[in-house]
Amino acid sequence: MGVTCVSQMPVAEGKSVQQTVELLTRKLEILGAEKQGTFCVDCETYHTAASTLGSQGQAGKLMYVMHNSEYPLSCFALFENGPCLIADTNFDVLMVKLKGFFQSAKASKIETRGTRYQYCDFLVKVGTVTMGPSARGISVEVEYGPCVVASDCWSLLLEFLQSFLGSHTPGAPAVFGNRHDAVYGPADTMVQYMELFNKIRKQQQVPVAGIR
Amino acid sequence: MSGVRAVRISIESACEKQVQEVGLDGTETYLQPLSMSQNLARLAQRIDFSQGSGSEEEEAAGAEGDAPDWAGAGASADQDDEEGLVKFQPSLWPWDSVRNNLRSALTEMCVLYDVLSIVRDKKFMTLDPVSQDALPPKQNPQTLQLISKKKSLAGAAQILLKGAERLTKSVTENQENKLQRDFNSELLRLRQHWKLRKVGDKILGDLSYRSAGSLFPHHGTFEVIKNTDIDLDKKIPEDYCPLDVQIPSDLEGSAYIKVSIQKQAPDIGDLGTVNLFKRPLPKSKPGSPHWQTKLEAAQNVLLCKEIFAQLSREAVQIKSQIPHIVVKNQIISQPFPSLQLSISLCHSSNDKKSQKSATEKQSPEDHLYVLEHNLHLLIREFHKQTLSSIMMPHPASAPFGHKRMRLSGPQAFDKNEINSLQSSEGLLEKIIKQAKHIFLRSRTAATIDSLASRIEDPQIQAHWSNINDVYESSVKVLITSQGYEQICKCHSIRCMQLWAGRY
Repeated sequence: MGVTCVSQMPVAEGKSVQQTVELLTRKLEILGAEKQGTFCVDCETYHTAASTLGSQGQAGKLMYVMHNSEYPLSCFALFENGPCLIADTNFDVLMVKLKGFFQSAKASKIETRGTRYQYCDFLVKVGTVTMGPSARGISVEVEYGPCVVASDCWSLLLEFLQSFLGSHTPGAPAVFGNRHDAVYGPADTMVQYMELFNKIRKQQQVPVAGIR
Repeated sequence: MSGVRAVRISIESACEKQVQEVGLDGTETYLQPLSMSQNLARLAQRIDFSQGSGSEEEEAAGAEGDAPDWAGAGASADQDDEEGLVKFQPSLWPWDSVRNNLRSALTEMCVLYDVLSIVRDKKFMTLDPVSQDALPPKQNPQTLQLISKKKSLAGAAQILLKGAERLTKSVTENQENKLQRDFNSELLRLRQHWKLRKVGDKILGDLSYRSAGSLFPHHGTFEVIKNTDIDLDKKIPEDYCPLDVQIPSDLEGSAYIKVSIQKQAPDIGDLGTVNLFKRPLPKSKPGSPHWQTKLEAAQNVLLCKEIFAQLSREAVQIKSQIPHIVVKNQIISQPFPSLQLSISLCHSSNDKKSQKSATEKQSPEDHLYVLEHNLHLLIREFHKQTLSSIMMPHPASAPFGHKRMRLSGPQAFDKNEINSLQSSEGLLEKIIKQAKHIFLRSRTAATIDSLASRIEDPQIQAHWSNINDVYESSVKVLITSQGYEQICKCHSIRCMQLWAGRY
């Protein structure tokens, strides 16, 4: 588990999502990365049931249940600014039992699927974010395996990102800012994905121009 | 009358004992005075019950006359009192109340007697019975006795008959089903060796290794049946067993895994025709019943099938540089370029067909018994792994599996870490490695021996260690120079150091 940076690649002008993804993957292959299969990250949203809100009238909190094919035997559950739980895959079954407390939000399943490339110590995943049948955006994840402290390798990551993303290189993710010298974990990756999905969900349609 | 002298009067008490007899020499034998109870009896006899209570006073007076016979001055005092009080109370004589009670009882009895005698005549008085249930008619006491005796005898006879009936039933049962008992004892013996369970009216058993950790999907169920084809009239044969086991048809016969290494590859046409054997069945322990040998053979067949299934599965799945060939009952792989390793499942059923083919001449086999044994050991180890302490005990809510695998979810292991947890090498790879080692060892030994025979000076000696690993062997090669022992004997220690340096 190394330091990971998840970012969104805006769709190129005049092109569809698929074409942009193809552009990216071709760039990576020219760079020398080797294809290593596919990946998938998905997210379901639940909100706390109204019955448990009580008389305080606070808004129901949203809970995201995510899976990542990189950790095939795990399931992640996180609140927006709250803790992230890493559990067994039996957690999905548990959510069914907790139907009374957590209700699934309608049409909330969002996922990203794509190919996985290995370039020496870097693991690059380029995926299409889809919500239902429609493709909404492109996600790019880069992991630098050897390092686990974010602050030590951010500059290296940035340089690598620049080499194939060009001008669309993102800034440092928010999770890095919180704990500079703490060990990076899979939960931080999922938090990044959650933020990405929320951002994409808010965008109503596939942006034609590169709106960040 | 003063002149008259006082007369002395002697008074002698009358409590003198009466004389019974006077002996010849003048000795007097006295009567013993009556004891209290004797006195009482004497007095009670003198009571006249026919006198009425009116004559009681006279009687009292008469009785008082006898009172001096009573011992004790207190009694005489009582008499004086009684005389004085006679006027007021009819009688204070102690026995009076007794006499009165007895008298009244006599009166009552007389009255009753009179009434009964009058009633018996039925002339002046009759008895009218109180309305009650009809009493049984009075019977002659003799017939009554007879009937009661008869009844009790009948009851006793009933009990005895019941007992006799039971005995005769059990005896006949024993005679008819003498072998019924044997079936149960034989079943008990079977149960001591194998797992049995009763399903409906059938007895089924389990001869698979599933309870020992195997994951092979064969059911391995055998059925226990009672051997009823016995004719009681004929003599029971010596090896008769009341119990018979029926094993699944695909486990019949016997099987073994043949592992052999061949230098040159045989024809392609010969693949899959490894039919072997009639390897003689392993001798069963004397005294073990026939079902034991049958079941053990079937279990062995099942184990061989499992080994072969595991090997063939791995041969197909695992990618290697030179692919393994799986043909019918044979797996062929090439550990070294000119070497061929063939593993085959040899299963012969007990029918006549295979016996015929067994007469074919078998080519000299280089069957490696060691590898076959190792295959058995490896599969048993694999079984044990599923039941090892790493797997169990584990929390009831956790899924089955290796302890660290259970943690892989909550600790977000990625694919590399998960792969490192799972055992990397399969059965086939291990066996191929072992075969390679055997081949290399024999090649090395042959090379050293040929060198030793070819080179005369220095001399080469190889000492192979007895204790080897399946993947490692050790040999000590001594290279000596002849003649130097002579020199070292004459010369000083320096030469010996020189000599030692050659090792």
